[in-house]
Amino acid sequence: MSLPTIVVLAILTIFPLGYTIYYSFTNFNMLKPKAIKFIGLGNFEKILADPYFHQALGNTLKFMVLAVIIETVLGLLTALLINSLESGQKLLRTLVLLPVVLPPVTVALIWRIMLSNNYGIINKMLEAFGAAPVNWLNDVRTAFYCILVIDVWQYMPFAFLLIYASLQAVPKSQYEAAKIDGASALQQLFFITIPNIMGGIILVVLLRSIDSIRLFDKVNILTRGGPANTTATITQYIYNYGVGNYRIGYSSAGAIIMTLIVLLISSLYVSRAFKIE
Amino acid sequence: MNKKILLSIGILAVLLLAAGFAPAGQETLTIAARGGSHVDAMNAVKGEFEAANNVTIEILGLEAADLKQKIGLDSLNSTGELDLIMIDDPWMPEFAESGVMANLTEMGYVEDEDFAAASRAIGKDPYGEGDVYALPFSGNVMLFFYNKALFDSYGFDVPTDWATVLSYAEKVKADGKIGYVIRGQQGNPIVSDYLPILWSYGGNVFDQEMNVIINSAEAKSALELYMKLLENGANFEKNDIVASVSDGKAAMSLGWPSWYISGETAAAAYAPIPGKVDQTAETNGSGMIGNWMMAVTANSGKKELALQFLEFVTSAESQKIEASFGGVPTRASVLTDAELTAKYPYFPTLLEATNNSVVRPRTPLWSNVETALGTELSSAISGVKTVDQALADAVAAIEAVMEE
Repeated sequence: MSLPTIVVLAILTIFPLGYTIYYSFTNFNMLKPKAIKFIGLGNFEKILADPYFHQALGNTLKFMVLAVIIETVLGLLTALLINSLESGQKLLRTLVLLPVVLPPVTVALIWRIMLSNNYGIINKMLEAFGAAPVNWLNDVRTAFYCILVIDVWQYMPFAFLLIYASLQAVPKSQYEAAKIDGASALQQLFFITIPNIMGGIILVVLLRSIDSIRLFDKVNILTRGGPANTTATITQYIYNYGVGNYRIGYSSAGAIIMTLIVLLISSLYVSRAFKIE
Repeated sequence: MNKKILLSIGILAVLLLAAGFAPAGQETLTIAARGGSHVDAMNAVKGEFEAANNVTIEILGLEAADLKQKIGLDSLNSTGELDLIMIDDPWMPEFAESGVMANLTEMGYVEDEDFAAASRAIGKDPYGEGDVYALPFSGNVMLFFYNKALFDSYGFDVPTDWATVLSYAEKVKADGKIGYVIRGQQGNPIVSDYLPILWSYGGNVFDQEMNVIINSAEAKSALELYMKLLENGANFEKNDIVASVSDGKAAMSLGWPSWYISGETAAAAYAPIPGKVDQTAETNGSGMIGNWMMAVTANSGKKELALQFLEFVTSAESQKIEASFGGVPTRASVLTDAELTAKYPYFPTLLEATNNSVVRPRTPLWSNVETALGTELSSAISGVKTVDQALADAVAAIEAVMEE
């Protein structure tokens, strides 16, 4: 019975992964397939010594930590708020979820228009209040945080959805018992709600960590990694210095490094999750 | 009932499949093209060739990055799916080095001197002197754009040197408007915006022996001027540049013709890019050429027919028709055609700018060089690095790229 699963897994995952690992040890260039040569750890050494990669790695980790914390906290607060409503839950739930169903490219384009220096609604609002327009995406002080805000806007609803689903499963009897015992709202939150939805929160943190490490579309459309490389990410580095120039060996090594980072981070969460369960 | 439904679905599937194929005995030429007006231009003329040669022309309109990927993937096949490909001119060295394109000279193609010389040179390998591998399909060269009403209100003449551009920018800025708009986003935008100024100063990224010279005195002066222009202006992305210069919020910028000029109307006045530092300096070529070339693939199964179509679609007759569908001619005879220039007055300026244009450095690694240079230029204009530090780091980064 498990044979079809193994075959599908082999075709979709193991085979491409094997090829990526193989290419990462070569100088394979798609336009020069006959010149493929085994170069050992050459690609890895080059990437790890490249200051642009260091910047991209730093930006990616900083982005991941901030995005995951903000999205999870806001998702939790929104879920608690909507879950506590007596009516209108369905409508609000639908409205909150709208940004997450939009493709990242569409989101980036919408925000590019809104953040435009010349006709963007955000600068128009600032001007209406007498403030000078801000060059949001071309200023080293604001570009990174613009990308962060856009990502939070899009993926906070994802965190909300998972946490909200967990909240629905918390037994009402526990709250009733707590009320009889005289527990305050805060005590109920920290001793009943949070422990019950911890699995959902960890899942949000795990999935958002993996996804935010792969940040690409928004950066590529909005800033191309600039200004001064302040928004460059690992995936954008791989695209710029590898895939875009047919350097499949180099890109594969970059992808392997990124996969190892994701594995390391997710294994920390997974081991923590198992401990909790 | 179920049988009837299945039969209907079957017939429909067969009809749909049949519609996707050319009639029996008819060949198909497949072209991978940059989407948009290039495809419209080809569609406007292809019918005549199809009828005369009993062939179907299929055109795949793709975004530039997808086009490049598709060409690369198809080049791995022994017989390619693609017979003709459109190529952005900086890609030429990469494709020539790796044998993606068929050698047109060896196929009997005779060079046509009606194509603008600068455009023709791009299609040869080695650049400018070797065999022909691609023909110029769509002309493009960066121009200097300015708001005419704003210029008239100040009594400005069209500038021919960068010192004058800066003085204009300072005057406009003093009145609270944007003097000059740079396109300073990291990567291709800032590099494309800075190189014409660098070339005007007599500098370049590489010397004749491909040594990196981007930290030369000329490069530093050019970057300092670029930053002074920013001080007297703004750093916008393309759409904001066009909007601000068009509506008179800003006075000047560089740009590609297609940004401002659509068909018979131009949203701003235009001129060739100034080619000298100041009035007393010598004039250098400064307009960046950016032609879209077209080539026959080396692994096409229909090379002869593909070459025939290539010659047809780039002929003077075809280019005259294509001009009405967004095509930009590459032939001197078409760019100076009286009927067309009456309708598209920018054509002679385009030819003049093309004749004085400069091509981006010819290296297969240009996209990586551009990425590295763009990062350092962005660091300089953001104030993260000094001009000296940014250009020194650019040299180190570009040398690392070129070591391959």
